[in-house]
Amino acid sequence: MSKNLSRVVKLSLFALVIVMALPLLVSAQTPDENTLIIGQSVDVGQLDPATINSRAEANIFFHVFGTLFEIADTGELRPYLANAYTISEDGKEWTFTLNEGLTCHDGEALTAEDVAYAFDRAANPDNGFTGNTSGFVLPSIGFQGTRVEDELNVTIITDRYQTPNLRLALISEVYIHCKDAYEAMTLEESAQNPIGSGPYRFVEWIPDDRIVLERVEGYTLREANFQTQIWRVIPEASTRVAELIAGNIDVAANVPFDQSEAVNASGVAEVQAVSGTRRIYVGFQFGENFADAPGYDALQKTEVRVALQYAVDVPTICQTLLGTSCERASSMVNPPNNNPNLQPYPYDPAMAEELLDAAGYPRGENGVRFETVLMGPRGRYLNDANVVQAIAQYLTDIGVQTTVDIRDWADYSQLVRPKEVGPMFFLGTGGGTWSALYDMADLSGPTAGTNYTNWNNSEWFELWDSLADIRDAEEERAVVNQMLEIFYNDPPWLLLYFQPDFYGVSNRLNWNARRDEWIVIYNATLK
Amino acid sequence: MGQYIARRLLQSIIVIIGVTLLAFLTLHLAGDPTYLYVSERASTEEIEATRVKLGFDKPLPIQYLNFLSGMTRGDLGLSLRSRQPALDMVLERLPATLELTLFAMLISTLLAIPIGIISAMRRGTPLDGGIMLFAMFGQSIPSFWLGIMLILFVGLTLRWLPISGHKPVLSLLFEGNVEQAIRNIPEAIRFLIMPAITIGVFSLSRNARLVRSSMLEVLSQDYVTTARSKGLKERAVIIKHAFRNALIPIVTMLGLEFGFLLSGVVVAETVFSWPGVGRLVFNAITQRDIPVVQAAVVLFSFLFIGLNLLVDILYARLDPRIRLR
Repeated sequence: MSKNLSRVVKLSLFALVIVMALPLLVSAQTPDENTLIIGQSVDVGQLDPATINSRAEANIFFHVFGTLFEIADTGELRPYLANAYTISEDGKEWTFTLNEGLTCHDGEALTAEDVAYAFDRAANPDNGFTGNTSGFVLPSIGFQGTRVEDELNVTIITDRYQTPNLRLALISEVYIHCKDAYEAMTLEESAQNPIGSGPYRFVEWIPDDRIVLERVEGYTLREANFQTQIWRVIPEASTRVAELIAGNIDVAANVPFDQSEAVNASGVAEVQAVSGTRRIYVGFQFGENFADAPGYDALQKTEVRVALQYAVDVPTICQTLLGTSCERASSMVNPPNNNPNLQPYPYDPAMAEELLDAAGYPRGENGVRFETVLMGPRGRYLNDANVVQAIAQYLTDIGVQTTVDIRDWADYSQLVRPKEVGPMFFLGTGGGTWSALYDMADLSGPTAGTNYTNWNNSEWFELWDSLADIRDAEEERAVVNQMLEIFYNDPPWLLLYFQPDFYGVSNRLNWNARRDEWIVIYNATLK
Repeated sequence: MGQYIARRLLQSIIVIIGVTLLAFLTLHLAGDPTYLYVSERASTEEIEATRVKLGFDKPLPIQYLNFLSGMTRGDLGLSLRSRQPALDMVLERLPATLELTLFAMLISTLLAIPIGIISAMRRGTPLDGGIMLFAMFGQSIPSFWLGIMLILFVGLTLRWLPISGHKPVLSLLFEGNVEQAIRNIPEAIRFLIMPAITIGVFSLSRNARLVRSSMLEVLSQDYVTTARSKGLKERAVIIKHAFRNALIPIVTMLGLEFGFLLSGVVVAETVFSWPGVGRLVFNAITQRDIPVVQAAVVLFSFLFIGLNLLVDILYARLDPRIRLR
């Protein structure tokens, strides 16, 4: 090769190296003492307070918008924009009294009229909102409308009595915004320009990159300790962990448990593992559209479903596949609201086999009692696909030959809602810390949307209906406990665990992760 | 030439109808998207109301015809999630993706051509063997793994480059903010290097092999021997006679390269939190946000068709024997 050509080649390589090396001289940026950076895996879909669709969205919106009451990490409900409430005699009308001197971020006074507007706007079918407020909260409280009593008092009108704690918690999920500001915007504009009522004001949204919030100076209802909050979108878990260890973010949501050790050894951050409120279970499908599916007949028998509770070594699954000793479920209700008399079924395969023999399903010559299918998702819950496979193996070990059918979450979720999963299916549903009834509402009726198993225990549903007439808390508790015993003894779920959640938290920060998947961080401080 | 371009543009309409129909059917085959837009505890009535709101209650052919009718007016619909015009959402993220793909192409091409030439000139030597080994490694390595490794070693251990994120340049240029765009360039390159290597290393390896084999073929041609026997300097032989002719398959590859890099960009965008079209489309697919997927499909189809047309025209410029009909 000629010397000239060789020189050209070398020069082009050298130029490339220089171009790439120059920026290395610029130092990396880390958060300063006035800035808090949180890394979540998903971005918001839009910024309208009436359309919250995911926990990631709710986490950010909660810092921008105030709510009438706030659900504390303990499950306690404490005043926020409102300082008191009264309930009408029939329990259908709730009148909230607002704090004086409230304003929205544009300076507009926040009055009872604005609260009424926030509820009515979310309920208005012409707006076509989907998501938590219009799709869940308002139907769940039987929302009928609002009435402005005076400047500080607003009444929420519903069609039914509801346990106060449950209703208050649901109402606490509605984000309050000012009427004039939102009436001046089209729906397309309000989806991009949130004007809030909380401790932080919206500054900037760079889709799929970050949302920047600035503290509202003089906001007295909540103590906002950092001048700026940046909510970064970092979809890949390993990247979030690397950013945390590098000191570039303060909190990383959903840290993979197998990277906990690396985080803890970094000296920069630590992993907080909390027992979450999401109930992970295997549902037994009772829907007749599965009547021809393998194992369907066997799984209709209460004795068989009880036997299977003993077959799965949940503590070992937690320790090996979830990296922690998780909270075992003895009912569908989160502690501390569950029935204290119910103990989780122990892992006892011999007992499981004995009960299956007694139920009329002895092992055949090939060692199989009956065959069935366990469906499950990939990519939704912690290590879900592996947990599903482990469960299937435990069931196969006691002679219930279980085939696994795993689908990506996007596909799986579209089968769960119309109840087209079975004869057994793996699922996790969100729960709360503030009310047993909130958790039990999954089974509010044989045809309820969240009764994915189509369970139809008449005793349970009669007692559920009876709760509507009970006003006394102790009496209600007794019925709840009775219902949970029914659930325990005629289980529509194979009870597993409450999903643990892992948060990576910078050592410079004073902040504790919550159980209910909320990242409420306005009160975090520097150490 | 004019007729040729007109015919190709006509063909592109058929291509676009085909790909949008395919995307539309695939997204609907997986089930009813309504469930992704309602709360976990939504009642049957709420689900039905949402289905009507989103227009999923209409028969599939009607939904598709509505989309086509909108497309002819330049209206590709609103995103089901964000209520923003779907095309605007794609266009908003396109500059970030273009930055990444063009930078990856630049790196892979700038390196592949000299590496391929050196390898061809030093055929059979240990240097040639080393380059080919590297090329094989580069084509075999999964880009996802490479991205994570770069983050761990270059970003986290050595702290040379930012682990993730993006600094805009092209979008600022499109907005007319030239001054800020220029100021951002050094920082933007820092953010670009690791994701560009992640998606570019495969192309670099493949192109280096292609340049090598193309050069080897051309160097054995009679006209190269003639050029040498005429006493031309080796530099002139390589650059003017050999390399220009070796360029034809490389130009073809570069045309396809852009499409290849675009299709692979979703991995780098996910690993490096890059706010580009790849992630937007990936999320739109998982959320069955059909208007956004369709907008991206239409836009990318136009890009591919335009690029292929450009490559065909370049062909004719490089090799006068090729005529466009």
